[in-house]
Amino acid sequence: MSHTASDVVPTDAMLLSAIRSGDEAAMAQLYDRYSGVVYSVALRIVADPAVAEDILQDLFMQLWRHPGAFDANRGSLPGWLAVISRNRAIDFLRKRRPAVELEDVVVNVEPEMVRGAEWSLVREKVRSALAAMSASQRSALEMSFFEGLTHTEIAQRTGEPLGTVKTRIRAGLLALRKACNR
Amino acid sequence: MSMHEQFADDLALYAFGTLEGDDRVAVEAHLRDCPACQRELERLRGDVALLAFSASGARPPARSRERLLADVAREARRPPARPARKRSWWSALQWATAATVLVLFFLLIRQNVMLRQQVNRLESSSANQQQQLLQARQLISALSGPEADHFLLVASKSPPQPQGRAVYLARSGTLVFLASNMPLLPPEKTYQLWLIPVSGAPIPAGVFRPNAEGSGSVVEPPLAQGIQAKTFAVTVEPKEGSQAPTSQPIMVGTRG
Repeated sequence: MSHTASDVVPTDAMLLSAIRSGDEAAMAQLYDRYSGVVYSVALRIVADPAVAEDILQDLFMQLWRHPGAFDANRGSLPGWLAVISRNRAIDFLRKRRPAVELEDVVVNVEPEMVRGAEWSLVREKVRSALAAMSASQRSALEMSFFEGLTHTEIAQRTGEPLGTVKTRIRAGLLALRKACNR
Repeated sequence: MSMHEQFADDLALYAFGTLEGDDRVAVEAHLRDCPACQRELERLRGDVALLAFSASGARPPARSRERLLADVAREARRPPARPARKRSWWSALQWATAATVLVLFFLLIRQNVMLRQQVNRLESSSANQQQQLLQARQLISALSGPEADHFLLVASKSPPQPQGRAVYLARSGTLVFLASNMPLLPPEKTYQLWLIPVSGAPIPAGVFRPNAEGSGSVVEPPLAQGIQAKTFAVTVEPKEGSQAPTSQPIMVGTRG
């Protein structure tokens, strides 16, 4: 990171631009910034540190090879990385080949929401919103996201009606949206 | 927001990527034509991504960073190595050359075909002209030959007078002259036709001797192109002809 003065924090877009030019130091900086969220999501899903690490490695190498796959105009980089990590981990759980290519994932999280210090604030807001939900609603959201279960599978597991599960999932997402002022 | 409520719950499941079967097909079909639901889907995907942040907290092992950076260094995006660039440059040049040769080849073939067509047209045109000229010559030859019957209608009891008819095309210098009732000449004399130009001296336009019936002709004498004729005249000259008239004309033309 010799090119970056210690008092200047480059934006994600600046790092991606440097990565496009083959700047390995920028890659290290991006890894330091977002490896935590990518690894955490993968680990939460696969519950195996070695597999989570493989997913992390694979995802960042793909970003190195195809930095243009992320379109900064259509979402935030950490949101994008997190969703791809989640998709890859669920594919692993279900013994599937990656169902979604890097380019196909769009994550519409406003960039300013998850930049620098604000991004830990978002994490706290999400956790608070989840804590405020009923256990069944929180569980429905977590089974959808971290296990990739369909509403039919969730209904089978919880013994609840299909329509209730569906409605609960949507209501949970809208509650998250509201909590984060999106 | 005017998204369609009947798709609201399924749209949320679709954002998770967990909607399957007919429901998924129906949502995708609807999304194709509904911008409002497309916008809502994008927002829902953002909501879904928020869930990922609830998982944060774990840190990958330190070796993971080293491993990634080692892999990155191994696949460093350096400028292409010289030999590769040279090869690629050379290869591009070869392709370019091949393409150019191919284009030239087809251009030459096309030009060749066009030239052949032009030659064929010219040959055909030339043959036509030759044929027309031949026919004209045969006609003139026949009309001026001994087998042709000539009739001159004059007032009764008048003796037949010498007459000549010249047809002249100034642009090409083509001249046909037919004469009749010409008095016979002694062997050392001949009739000579003159082109009288608009300005300048008379120009020799051929000599002729009438046959026993008094008919004679001059066909395509050597004349320059483009000379405008005021009229034509005939004089009696020494048998080899003259460069300038040496006697008074016995016939002078009028246009008609």
